[in-house]
Amino acid sequence: MRPSAPGLESFLPADAVSAAAALGRADIVIGIPSYRNARTIGHVVRAAQLGLAKYFPQFTAVIVNSDGGSNDGTREAVLSAPLEDGRVLLLRHPLLPVHRLSMPYHGIPGKGSAFRLIFGMASLIGARACAVVDADLRSITPEWFDLLLRPVLHADFDFVAPYYHRHKYDGTITNSIVYPLTRALYGLRVRQPIGGDFGMSRRLFNRYLERNDWETDVARYGIDIWMTTIAICEGFRVCQSFLGAKLHDAKDPGADLSAMLHQVIGSVFQLMNEYEPVWRARTGSENVDLFGFRYDVGLDPIQVNVPRMIGKFRHGCQDLGEIWSVALTKETMSRISALAREPDEARFHLDDELWVRVIYDFALAFKRGKLDRGHLMRSLTPLYMARVASFVLETEELGPEAVDEKIEVLCRRYEAAKPYLLAGWSGAAPPAEDRRSPAADAMEKMKEAHYD
Amino acid sequence: MIDTLRAIVRGTLERLAHMAETQLPPLIVAAAIMLSAFLLASVVRLLILRVFHGIALDRFLRRSGVSSLVDHSGTLRASGVVAQSAYWGILIIGFLAALQAFGTEFTARIAEGAVLLFPRLLAGAAVVLGGIWLAQYLGRSALVWAVNEDWPWARLFAAAVRSMVVFAAVVVAADILNFARGVFLIAFVLVLGGAVLAASLALGLGARDAVRRRIEESTSGLPEPEPRERSLWHHL
Repeated sequence: MRPSAPGLESFLPADAVSAAAALGRADIVIGIPSYRNARTIGHVVRAAQLGLAKYFPQFTAVIVNSDGGSNDGTREAVLSAPLEDGRVLLLRHPLLPVHRLSMPYHGIPGKGSAFRLIFGMASLIGARACAVVDADLRSITPEWFDLLLRPVLHADFDFVAPYYHRHKYDGTITNSIVYPLTRALYGLRVRQPIGGDFGMSRRLFNRYLERNDWETDVARYGIDIWMTTIAICEGFRVCQSFLGAKLHDAKDPGADLSAMLHQVIGSVFQLMNEYEPVWRARTGSENVDLFGFRYDVGLDPIQVNVPRMIGKFRHGCQDLGEIWSVALTKETMSRISALAREPDEARFHLDDELWVRVIYDFALAFKRGKLDRGHLMRSLTPLYMARVASFVLETEELGPEAVDEKIEVLCRRYEAAKPYLLAGWSGAAPPAEDRRSPAADAMEKMKEAHYD
Repeated sequence: MIDTLRAIVRGTLERLAHMAETQLPPLIVAAAIMLSAFLLASVVRLLILRVFHGIALDRFLRRSGVSSLVDHSGTLRASGVVAQSAYWGILIIGFLAALQAFGTEFTARIAEGAVLLFPRLLAGAAVVLGGIWLAQYLGRSALVWAVNEDWPWARLFAAAVRSMVVFAAVVVAADILNFARGVFLIAFVLVLGGAVLAASLALGLGARDAVRRRIEESTSGLPEPEPRERSLWHHL
């Protein structure tokens, strides 16, 4: 039996332990966290089974569905999803069986708790690799599992992050905060750090299990950035795999945006505290190995109500001054107030520099702890709305490449403003001017071209 | 006539002498006690400021909102609060001890009343302070929530939440101090009842269409339409 993480029995339900004992061992675990995904999870399970049969027939595998108490037949859909192998060309027979398990997790309701059960199972049965995918994916194919698992099983990578084609207005938290901030902090260009579909090695999921912060925001939406950050900061080998388009159902119709922001960005800031020595020492950023063949795909259109977002921002500006004035510097606050007074919606523009200042000011306020962190993070919502509205207005007529270039420029702005963050973090007065000269920007651009 | 005047003056002087003889020593003792108390209080305040400067309690006060509750600039320090409390506590004890030096029934009653009232006063003050802190916290939670939900009267709503919580704390404090219990309680019940009624009416009137739509959908068997605009926010 391979070594498993200690203390698994303390959080794994008894039926999970007995199921693991009955299974004995397996090489691969596919984890699917779910909550009321009866409509789509059957497709995900079929894709997983076909992926395992097609690409890893020599390995024993288990599909583990970790469910948050669905009452719409999600678990039944997992266990009864038929494998339509008659329509698939498989090169090797007989196949090793793929077991399917579906069990409810315990603890704080959320994706993180579901992952904990999956990793616990993977550890208990001594899996060599584990892949987790969302249960609401409509664009998942068997190839995703090859792309998420092969770098672990055959190239000794520890963490495989996804790389998708997404609509220009999809993944706005990723594009405007999480990706640029993670990249500026830790120096690795992991394009989808909170993508939700990951592959990882035994070494890494055992490391996750050793940690004792599972009962925090990590248990909810913070899990993705938590996994990515740990992998980057603790020296695990990280790569990306191009998975094509990411099309999925609405994540959780009951969840509200401010809670997501609170959990995701709060987790980023919390991890900044823990890994301060790592990000202090890093400047600039470098590319991460990318597996898979990149191709263009059609994407679902996304409707955006810009006037409503600007209205919410103005509302926030009017009423949240008591919080923002503590979180933001005077200069940032006055620029935000000026933006709220902009009468012409077509000219509404929250520029990159101001946005980066807002995020860094919030990170510093989070560290200083002058405000309750829940209030602080939730008060970010109207500002985030302003940024998204501005981004939508700015990119309305632009194609995907031009939008990617915009995001790249924002990332460089985050990197350039890092001294401001560092100074504020140390308690020193931040540099008055973090704008770089056009010459420096041109140099940076040349460097980027070289990387690409 | 002159004898009478002399007698009055003598009597006055004798009374003054007697008063000086009987009252001056207690007054001197009281002044000495007050002075000692003042010196002790000053030394204790200084020591506390030195010893407890920058303890983790400061961070707790800032984060919990107590700082901004007492001091909007957020510069309030726990060490300062503790030092001032000790300072004034010693001064009050010194004052009560000084009163005892006079040995009269009146001063004894004052001291006794203060001693008996002190624990309740302390409890009442703690309840009010706790209530103010809770009001601040809940008010801010309500404000952020209302803004994110795009409520038009977010600040008013937050102020109402704050007022209600403070009011509830005052009612409890009045009960502890046995001060106008009935008045506060009835006023609180009236205000709370009014607020609940207003909220019910607002909810009823505002949600009427939504409820009707929901009932129609559930009876017609059609699936609930996915609000397209929300989709943007569900893709991280």
